[in-house]
Amino acid sequence: MNYPVWYLPEIGGGTLIALISIIHVFISHFAVGGGLYLVCAERKGLRKNDGAIIDFTRRHAKFFMLMTVVMGGITGVGIWFIIALVNPAATSILIHNFVFGWATEWVFFVVEIVAIFVYYYCFGSMDTRTHQIVGWIYFIAAWLSLFVINGIVGFMLTPGVWLADGDFWSGFFNPSFWPSLLFRTFVSLMLAGVYAFLTTAYLTDQRLKSVMTRFSAKWVLSSFLAAIPCGYWYLSTLPNQARSLAEGASPTVRIAMQYGLYTAVLMIAGTLILLLVKPAWHSRPVSFLVLASAFLFLGSFEWTREASRRPYVINEFIYSNSIVKMDLEKINRQGFLKSARWVSQRSTTEGNLLAAGRDIFMNQCYPCHTVGGINNDIAARTSFMDYPSLLNYIANIHEIRYFMPPFAGNETERKALAAYIMKGIHGKSVQFTEETPEAVEEKGKTLFETHCVLCHSEQLVKEKTASWDRKKIRWSLDNLNRLNSSMPDYTGTAEEKEQVADYIFSLQGGAR
Amino acid sequence: MNTLIPAPDAIPVSWGYFKFLLMLTFPLHLILMNSMLGSAAIALYACLKGDETSKRLAYELAKVIPFLIAFAVNLGVAALLFLQVLYGHFFYTSSIVMGAYWIAVIPLVLVAYYSAYLFDFKFSSLGKGAVALVSLSLFIFLGIAFLFSNNITFMLDPEAWNVYFAKPAGTSLNLGDPVLLPRYLHFIVGGIAVGGLFVALVGKMKRKMASDVRAAAENIGMKVFTFFTGVQVASGFWFLLSLPQDVIRLFTGGDALATLIFIAGFLLALVVLAAGISRKVYAIAVLVVPLVYIMSFMRDSVRSGYLKPHFSPESLQVLPQYSPMFLFFFVLVAGIAPVVWMLRKALGSLPQAEEER
Ligand code: HEC
Ligand code: HEC
Repeated sequence: MNYPVWYLPEIGGGTLIALISIIHVFISHFAVGGGLYLVCAERKGLRKNDGAIIDFTRRHAKFFMLMTVVMGGITGVGIWFIIALVNPAATSILIHNFVFGWATEWVFFVVEIVAIFVYYYCFGSMDTRTHQIVGWIYFIAAWLSLFVINGIVGFMLTPGVWLADGDFWSGFFNPSFWPSLLFRTFVSLMLAGVYAFLTTAYLTDQRLKSVMTRFSAKWVLSSFLAAIPCGYWYLSTLPNQARSLAEGASPTVRIAMQYGLYTAVLMIAGTLILLLVKPAWHSRPVSFLVLASAFLFLGSFEWTREASRRPYVINEFIYSNSIVKMDLEKINRQGFLKSARWVSQRSTTEGNLLAAGRDIFMNQCYPCHTVGGINNDIAARTSFMDYPSLLNYIANIHEIRYFMPPFAGNETERKALAAYIMKGIHGKSVQFTEETPEAVEEKGKTLFETHCVLCHSEQLVKEKTASWDRKKIRWSLDNLNRLNSSMPDYTGTAEEKEQVADYIFSLQGGAR
Repeated sequence: MNTLIPAPDAIPVSWGYFKFLLMLTFPLHLILMNSMLGSAAIALYACLKGDETSKRLAYELAKVIPFLIAFAVNLGVAALLFLQVLYGHFFYTSSIVMGAYWIAVIPLVLVAYYSAYLFDFKFSSLGKGAVALVSLSLFIFLGIAFLFSNNITFMLDPEAWNVYFAKPAGTSLNLGDPVLLPRYLHFIVGGIAVGGLFVALVGKMKRKMASDVRAAAENIGMKVFTFFTGVQVASGFWFLLSLPQDVIRLFTGGDALATLIFIAGFLLALVVLAAGISRKVYAIAVLVVPLVYIMSFMRDSVRSGYLKPHFSPESLQVLPQYSPMFLFFFVLVAGIAPVVWMLRKALGSLPQAEEER
């Protein structure tokens, strides 16, 4: 609202952030662990006086340099570009609070690129001791980069005491700092080995291939095993709400966790055992398989971390839609359109309901919802709602779904938003149905449609409650959250609960 | 007061430190960026010319371009960081107004960067492809510079931001601004001039290059430098005169410091031009660095002039916390040591590498 919204309705800014960050995360972690891998591989070659290993290391160093300096460096800048475009308010907070953290990280970045250039271009021409020291300098600088960035990334999810004192150090050494640092360190070592599989798969010398594959496999397996407890430690430092989100309160997060984590664990462990026992089976497809599963593993971790920050960009401070939590009350009082700078409509009138609703949608919902896109399409999400049920949903959006920010604005603005989604997007009518006598009688049905079919169909409830009696149904309405942890309790009055219970009971053909 | 200008965030130390750091790093970025641009342009010329010496010169340049890109980006990151601290609320907004173009900078740099590496690593086997690759890099650099000029002129002109409402997908450019073209030209022409100087320096300093290649580098580098510096002085006046009246006035006595900088810059440019005509490579190199700094100070005055009705960094709220800054200065000094050590070791061992090949 302070900044304009870069509006790409079918794509969504979040998708673009995800795209660039995924690439960057895989490479930047590799950039850390890969440094140590190079030093260790070179040393192995020197110790055994094995020219083939040293030659392998040199070729791997070239791949490493092209990957990290070019792809890693530029996608790193890319993250800055994209978050400033999509989330300018939060980016500005990160920059202004941590400017000297970033500046310090920049120094490490300088040392890193000088070191990797010297390491690669002087491979073989420099005396081996100096060359090894250069490799170490690279690794230490890269790890220190990770150290700094880890503090700032962690701050976004667990700002901790910073919320109260605004102090650089409280934000930096936030509650998840150490577990996250350890986790990322091990993951970066793991990725170093995984990327080396790629290079070893292309080796033609069978002896060398077997030696280096074993070497890399041990590297991957041990760091992977070490990363697991750190991951758990990390999870345990998350605040309650975030943890329950990470543990699967949102259906999509749960799916991501399941698919990502388990398949990755299985594939990595399976492939590696195979490689340790029988390195000769190593081939290009195997290396890509391992690479893909390692990506899935790290990807689902990062995705879950991102998702569990919802509805905030900086936890408990600024929402994903750039509204600062503290300002919420003021915005509700004076109206969203009057508080925002970058809206085309300054207030709601009879004539501009849809235009005003679109402004509000762009600012408050578009940060996580596309219109007609693949990712969290608002049209698909609201297809089974009508105007009254959506209006009601928006009023309680944060209570129903913790991971969505509360609606910010006044009563008419809420109507404008609902009208925009219903009429502007779906082309449905935005009239309230008349409260005819039949409608009053159908109160239970209306309530059910307003409060329950948001998340599941009537059919599902019908099937699940097929064997229940009226009493159990009535009881369940007081205990929805106990039935399913992602279902909020129903907040209706006792009378309304009776009506809903009647309605559900009638679904099975039961009499009222 | 323009209601579209976002409210800025508070800064942790007095604004002067950020201004200092911005004005320290930005000219370094410019020098590297210029060297990169000029080297690519001259490498293209040499490829097209095609005689044996030119080809070897192109290869020598092919080897340095990736380094120049790496450090141009690296210093650009530093400058961008400090720019965001002081002017983020303008810069983010203008970036969003042209968002679709702005994000294109990233894939474009990637393509230019990898084609520069291909141009280097595969030089001998490229044949005609060499021209294609180095042209690709060069034209991308020119395109990126155009996008930067757009963003920076947009950033200085909040009145122009209204185009957002018609195109919220960020598909606007600042083409209506009469300053855009002269400004862009001034940066490109100056960039190629400094790039020419860089190539001449490479010729002078790289002892292990064959002497005909060295002579060719110095010769063409100096020609490019002198010619483009001449054009640059002219384009500078065009740029100056295209600025809004209030901004021009700063340099014609309205602001004592700005006027002084302007006169100093103009005189220094003439000296540099004279040195170019008499081909004093080292003397020019020594003079061009302060010249680029002076020009950056002028550029900063232009920015202040534009933003004056809306904002000045002095007005930023300070929530003081100095310890992170001291840590940064400490790390900066501590970080220089290993860099110098590694570079010395590398220079000590590189010539051998050349002989082995
Ligand atoms: C912080 C991100 C975020 C914001 C902002 C957000 N949503 Fe959502 N919303 C989600 C996610 C994520 C889901 C889907 C959850 C899933 O299925 O995993 C969702 C689902 C929904 C659903 C489907 C019903 C349900 O409960 O599953 C509706 C309707 C909806 N959102 C409306 C809105 C509206 C209206 C706004 C703007 C006022 C909004 N959302 C803003 C993240 C967000
Ligand atoms: C915020 C989303 C949400 C809302 C709102 C919601 N539910 Fe659910 N509900 C769920 C989810 C998720 C499940 C699990 C679905 C599954 O198992 O596939 C569920 C399951 C159920 C079940 C089956 C429980 C079981 O034992 O398996 C019943 C009954 C039910 N809901 C009733 C209701 C009623 C009645 C309402 C309206 C008062 C309601 N729900 C509102 C999300 C919701």
